[in-house]
Parts: sequence; C-alpha cells; structure tokens
Amino acid sequence: MNILSKNSIRAITGVAALLCLLWLAGLGWAVGEYYDGTSENISKPSVSEQKADQKKGLTVVALGDSLTRGTGDETGKGYVGVLVDEIKEKTKKSVQLTNLGINGQRSDQLRNQIQEEEIGRQIQKADVVLVTIGGNDLFRGGQGLIDFQAEDITAIEKKYLDNLNFIFTEIRKHNQTANVFFVGLYNPFIELNQGKEMSKVVRKWNYDSAEVSAVFPKIVFVPTFDLFELKVNDYLYSDKFHPNQKGYRLIAERVAALMTW
Amino acid sequence: MHKLIQNEMLKLIAKKRLIVIAIIIGVLVMLFTYAQYKQIQTQREKLGTSDWRTILQQQIVDTTNRLSSSRISDEWKKQLQISLQQQQYYLEHDINPSEPGAPTFMRIFLENSIDLFIPLMVMVIASDLVSSEHSLGTVKLLLTRPVKRWKILLSKYITLCLAVSLIIAIAGILSYGISGLVFGYKGWGAPILTGFSVTDTGLNTSEVRLLSLWKFLLMDFGLVWFVAIVVGTLSFMLSVLIRSTAAGMGVMLAALISGAILNNMVSSWKSAKFFFMVNLRLTDYMKGNAPPIEGMTLSFSLLTLLVWWAAALMVSFMVFTKRDVY
Repeated sequence: MNILSKNSIRAITGVAALLCLLWLAGLGWAVGEYYDGTSENISKPSVSEQKADQKKGLTVVALGDSLTRGTGDETGKGYVGVLVDEIKEKTKKSVQLTNLGINGQRSDQLRNQIQEEEIGRQIQKADVVLVTIGGNDLFRGGQGLIDFQAEDITAIEKKYLDNLNFIFTEIRKHNQTANVFFVGLYNPFIELNQGKEMSKVVRKWNYDSAEVSAVFPKIVFVPTFDLFELKVNDYLYSDKFHPNQKGYRLIAERVAALMTW
Repeated sequence: MHKLIQNEMLKLIAKKRLIVIAIIIGVLVMLFTYAQYKQIQTQREKLGTSDWRTILQQQIVDTTNRLSSSRISDEWKKQLQISLQQQQYYLEHDINPSEPGAPTFMRIFLENSIDLFIPLMVMVIASDLVSSEHSLGTVKLLLTRPVKRWKILLSKYITLCLAVSLIIAIAGILSYGISGLVFGYKGWGAPILTGFSVTDTGLNTSEVRLLSLWKFLLMDFGLVWFVAIVVGTLSFMLSVLIRSTAAGMGVMLAALISGAILNNMVSSWKSAKFFFMVNLRLTDYMKGNAPPIEGMTLSFSLLTLLVWWAAALMVSFMVFTKRDVY
C-alpha cells in the first residue's frame, strides 16, 4: 500500500489526533495531580525478599570522618582503600566496600548516622567494620589547639566517650560477629609550640577510647599515635592535619596486620 | 478545512521528515541505553554489589561529603541538599528511585530531553512549515486558491500539533522498545514518589505521594507534549516572520541553548523567570527538583509558556493574513 494514499494519510491523521488527545489528558492529569493528588497503595517488596541478598566474598563497612573518607590522599583511597586492596590480595576474595565516612563528622553526628535504618542494615551485612572518629571532637578544625587546656575539654571528652559507647553498642546490636577496628587518634600538631601538651591530651583520649573498646567483644583499638610521632610532616597532607598517601598507608598496614580471616 | 489538513499532512509525510526524526531518536536512544548500561556496570564493579539500597546509601554519603566542601556555590549547595533529602526519603520508605527496566529508562529519557532534544526535533518540522512555501515559491499557488488565508495557516498549525503528538509517541515507543532489549520490559507498576515541594527551608515532604510509574509516565508525556507544542508554535511564528528557514532555525536554536545555559546561572536574576526557555523543565516539578529561580512553580511555568504560546499564535496569524506576498 502506498504510504501517500488517501486512506493511509487519513489513518495517520486519525492516530495523531488520538495521541494528541491522550497527551492532553496526561497534561491535565499532571496538573491535577500536582495540586491535588492522592496517594495510592502499592505493594512494596516484602522484607524477607530483601534479606535474600546472596553473599560472596567479604563485606567491609567503614564509618567515621575524613580519615575514613581518605581526605588528603591524592589517590583518593585513604586507609580504607589501601586496606581493602590488601585484603583482596591476601584472601583472593572479592571485597565489597561500603564507605560511609563523612568529612568533618563528629561523634555526635556519627551517633545520629548510625541510628539510620539503612546504616544498620549495612552493618548487619558486614564482616569487618572500620571506625575512625573523635578527631573533629578534639581538634575542632584547629580550635582545639587554642583551648585544649581549658576545663571544657574534659566535658567534651566525656560527651565523646559517651557517644563512642553508644556507637559501639549500636554496632554490636546489629552485628555480633564482625570484627570491629577502631582507629585511634594521632597528634598532627606534635611539632608545634604546644605539641607536647596536646600530645598529652591525645594520649588520654586514646587511652579512654581503648578502655571503652575493651568493654565490647571483638572491638579492637588500633593505635596510630606512634606512627605519626616522629617526622610527622612527612606523613601529613599540605593542610597539616590529614595524613597523606604515605600516612594512610601506615595506618592501613597497621590495621591489616591485626586482621584475621 | 478537513481537506486542507489532509493536504498538509500529505506534504508532511511526503517530505519524510518524521522518518528522519524517528531515525535520529532511535540512534540516540541506542547510545543512551548503552551509556546507561555501562554506568550500571561500572557502579556494580566499583561497589561490588547490585543492591540498590547500598548504592543509594553510598550516593547519600557521597553527596553529604560534597556538601561539606567549601568550594561549591550556594545554589548548587541548595540543590544538592534537596536531592540529598529526597534520596534519604526514598531510602527511608524503602522505594527504589530508579527501578530497573525500560519504563524507568523512558522516564529518565523524557526528563532529560524535555528542554532541548524534543524541542529540537519539533523544530525540524515547525521551522519550515511556512517559510518553505516561500523558498519553493509554492506560496503563491496556495494563496491564489479561493480559501481564506487564516484557514490555510490554521491547517498548517493543526498539522504541526498532530506532528508533535506523533513525535512524542515515537520518542516513547522507541525508548521503550530499544531500552527494553537491555533492561527488560517490566516495571510499569513500580512505585515512584511525587509531591516533593521546594521551600525556602529546604524540601517539604509532607505532601509526598506514591504513584505507579505508568501514571507518572503519562503525566510526564503530557508535560513534554505541552513544551513541544509551545516550542513548536514559537518556531512556527518565526517561520511565518522570517522567510529563510535557516535563519528561523538559528534564532530558535539560540533561544533553546541559551535557556539551557541560563538555567544554571539565573538564580539571582529574578525577572529571567519570564523567559520561556527557563521554564521548559516541567518534569522537574513532578520530581521535586529545585527550580532554577526561587518562586517558580508548575502553574507559574505553565502560565508563562501559555502566554508565550498565545502571543506567538496571534503574531503568526496577524502577520500571515496581512502580509503582501510577491
């Protein structure tokens, strides 16, 4: 049949006219829905279906602040990335990494984050949980350098330890079997004027954090203070606060040494 | 009148423009399908999972980190915050914002082609409907018939509307058919959220509703169609005003592209919201994305477009019926 015959032209015109009406109806509906819509009931996939998430390899969940994120590492990996590479190499298994670190996160923010349902589900799936937190509580972007001797540092520490305790409790609530590695604090300001006094505070925080970790089964406190004690500037990024690639490698190697599988 | 429309339709189909448009859309959809497929694959490799909740959670954390950067502009920050709240809402309500399947691909395709691609396709037809009669010299033959001039123009305009409806349908059918080969043809009933509204304080979720995807799609189609009609009418007007098809197309193209650019930088120039080209992204309102300029709503954009449409139509008819043809 010739496409230019009278009948086919008429048919095309008719179809086009119908489509025109259909789209017009869609437009009218969109406006109506936008201003006065009602929700409909749609059956969502049942919970049991979601749980059937087949697992292969290892699952690593990383929580915490910019250290978890890898800020300062030119390759963007951070200690978590380096560590995961190392696990892959050693175990020859695939590793699923979920990095939930948020730059500048403090312990009270992590406390909120960890209460989210999806975060809980992620922790539940994990074989290894990595945590870095506290650096921003203590140093507060350099502010901590000025007023670390003040009385309120004790109050801040008390709050931090309380949050830490809560965070660990939540992790254990979701997952009783995973190994948890809690990476301790180092002193990036060690070579500054008041570095010695600052170090004292960092050591105290580390000691108290280790005490909190020890209460829970399979939560391992990983010290990093000594790694950055000598020649700190070789291992720091240009912001003189975050580790650089070398610094992250040091942390990753230390955590890797503690891991068992 | 009826005969006139038939005649115009015949000209349109004889020119084979619709087929060219269908081929262009088909090729692009293939490209997009492949790109999307690749993107999903790399994402899966990177995260080691295809669980959408994990992927979404990771996106949320990534967005949060971008927000903490001091180098991003305030407007961008606000947009990020809104999308962040939206993602969080989806996650909390356990709804996959991009359920895999051809219908979702179709939705994303429509949302991304509403302000440039579909208008462009419409332009291919609209911009020479009248001016080609001038350049071919057939306009004299047409006007010497014992038919009123406005009737001739109206039949041309109705043909344009019909062609636009066909183009939208072609875009829908091709994007569904081609992407379905890769993503599967299911997913019409998947839930999607609508009713997010953007306020000064951020995202308002009190009015959020669940819809099945097919309903949402029909609405999207309606909005895309409306935009296409408005853009088509504007290029139709230019086709009446300017005898050179190329010049008319150039003007329209410049307007459309400037709209895409303006969208990213007009937030401090409030009166720019009366331009038709910054109002083209109607589907964003359904999705709850932040509008380019504060205070823009669906009804505002629709009304603005309607005014432009009416003005263009009036000018076209006035000029065409009054102008001397020689």
